[in-house]
Amino acid sequence: MLSIKNLKAKIGENEILHGINLEVKPGEIHAIMGPNGAGKSTLSSVLAGREDYTVTEGEVMFNGKNLLDMAPEDRAREGLFLAFQYPVEIPGVSTTNFLKTAINEKRKYHGLEPMEATDFLKMMRAKMEFVEMDKSLTSRSLNEGFSGGEKKRNEIFQMAMLEPKLAILDETDSGLDIDALRLVSEGVNRLRSKENAFIVITHYQRLLDYIIPDFVHVLYKGKIVKSGDKELAKELEVKGYDWIKTEVENESVKSV
Amino acid sequence: MKLQELIKNNFQQKGTQPERAKELSEQAFAEFEKLGLPTTKHEEWRYTNLKKIDEKDFQINVRSESVNTFFESLPIKNIAANKLVFVNGNFSIELSDIIEKDKSIIISNIFSAREKHEELFYKHFGKYAKSEGIALNAMNTALMNDGAFIFIPENKTPEYPVIILCISDSSQANVFYQPRNLIVISKNSSLKLVEGYYSKGNNVSFSNNVTEVYAGENATLDHYKIQQESGESYQNNFTQIIQESNTNINHVTLTLDGTMVRNNLHFNLNGENCNSLLYGLYVTDKKNHVDNHTRVDHSKPNCFSNELYKGILKDQSTAVFNGKIFVHKDAQKTNAYQRNQNILLSDEATINTKPQLEIFADDVKCTHGATVGQLDEEPMFYLRSRGIPENEARKMLLNAFADAIAEEIKIPELVAIIEEEINHKL
Repeated sequence: MLSIKNLKAKIGENEILHGINLEVKPGEIHAIMGPNGAGKSTLSSVLAGREDYTVTEGEVMFNGKNLLDMAPEDRAREGLFLAFQYPVEIPGVSTTNFLKTAINEKRKYHGLEPMEATDFLKMMRAKMEFVEMDKSLTSRSLNEGFSGGEKKRNEIFQMAMLEPKLAILDETDSGLDIDALRLVSEGVNRLRSKENAFIVITHYQRLLDYIIPDFVHVLYKGKIVKSGDKELAKELEVKGYDWIKTEVENESVKSV
Repeated sequence: MKLQELIKNNFQQKGTQPERAKELSEQAFAEFEKLGLPTTKHEEWRYTNLKKIDEKDFQINVRSESVNTFFESLPIKNIAANKLVFVNGNFSIELSDIIEKDKSIIISNIFSAREKHEELFYKHFGKYAKSEGIALNAMNTALMNDGAFIFIPENKTPEYPVIILCISDSSQANVFYQPRNLIVISKNSSLKLVEGYYSKGNNVSFSNNVTEVYAGENATLDHYKIQQESGESYQNNFTQIIQESNTNINHVTLTLDGTMVRNNLHFNLNGENCNSLLYGLYVTDKKNHVDNHTRVDHSKPNCFSNELYKGILKDQSTAVFNGKIFVHKDAQKTNAYQRNQNILLSDEATINTKPQLEIFADDVKCTHGATVGQLDEEPMFYLRSRGIPENEARKMLLNAFADAIAEEIKIPELVAIIEEEINHKL
């Protein structure tokens, strides 16, 4: 589904990703962990198409298409979804109107008619229940005055509405209390299927108690330095990131 | 100098008029002769040049053939309201429609009110919008056309809003006219008032409007001005509002079209515990020019004023915002706020903004500020990352920015019409 080969990217003159390789197949959940400044958010930004970053090398194929050639809106319409770490507040744009536009733009892209208003409302009601989101939130402006937890839940709600093939959760657990964390995770687990995949980016192992990953990758200094299964996450929880850092430093000394 | 000549010739050929009216117009004419039209050397007219108007050949008192079809095409005419319709400054009995049942509420054209309600008329007329030192007010008072007269007696609220519709019809010639409105809201009364400006025809139009508003103690006014003249059209608009104590005034000026529009909106807070809200939106394109000059005089203590003007500028258009707040010596405990926010959508568009505060009291809370910029990138990326194309995302954000002002209008049918117009314009 997603194939990242030797991806290098910079912001300004600073290269942040130094050659990422990653294969994601349908039905899989990949966790990407790593210390602060490792390049976790850069990776999600580059995949979603944020224009502040320049890709200098490598390729990213998404369901057989070159992802890096696409505008952010086309990536979304091809089935990519980014749950933002800091969802922005947009006064004056109602959540309902925004989602209706997003869904119909996606349908248009795939040659489908716009959704009937009643079907849309029915779908909205069902998905809202699904993430236990308060009805009043959808009539308000997008994220405006939402608490941190409400914003994150709104991201999961949007994900449920847009039914992406690949969802990237960028530190969705940051700033969440345990109840919100449980709700968000349940949302993800219920959306999980054989056809779709998830990349869960997180600093802490905590989230992975709720969303069980098939693979865990450690990102450090812009490279994936270690991959394993869910046990790797537990090891990191106990030992911290320092042993990985030491291991990497030793490797580089050896190779010199 | 052509405009001045035109005024002079027409003033001299003017037919007979009532003695008291004659006296006022002669005084005003003398003042206008003394002042002449303001030039860009005049501080208040630095960025708005009247020369372009002064060079044109206009005709006064151009009768319109028929604007019925045009009138029928205006969405605003479908709103359930009392309507006073004027075409080139002449009252149209045919198109006007007064549906208010309470006959103590006067909704009429100003020329007939001058005869029928003489004492009431002269008690207020010319008392608020001064001609002294303001050439275009003097010009209006010297040679005014018809306009609206609205009088709400004490303790009354009209069942319906009042809509004053001014239509310029330049299909036959270049037209020049000067509407004059007088609005009096007595103690404990309220009014919802809409002024709509529209135009048809391929020649040039210029209207020089003066509106006087008096709000007696404890009165409430919702006042909406919608300017949408198309083609080559020029407008100068002067509105003076007097607020007695405990009055609430909510004013919205929306400028969505017009070659050159100059608004002068003056509030005088003459009593304690007044609330004044001034909202404005201008969406400009082509080489059009919009100039909003506002002035709020806090003369008494314990009043609140809040001003927010927003602009979206496209193409080679230009706009001016000049907002003055005066907090006079006695106006302690004043809260006065003022903001002007602009989004420039083109490298060739220009905004000159000048928020101004002058405070002569020592116990006040006042802030002011202006911003000029492009749309924020973060919201754009957020919308696009959900599959909304760039153009559509930009439009959504611009609509949201502009609609926030339209939504200050408390007539839902009108808000819907305006939002549609804004959407069409963006």
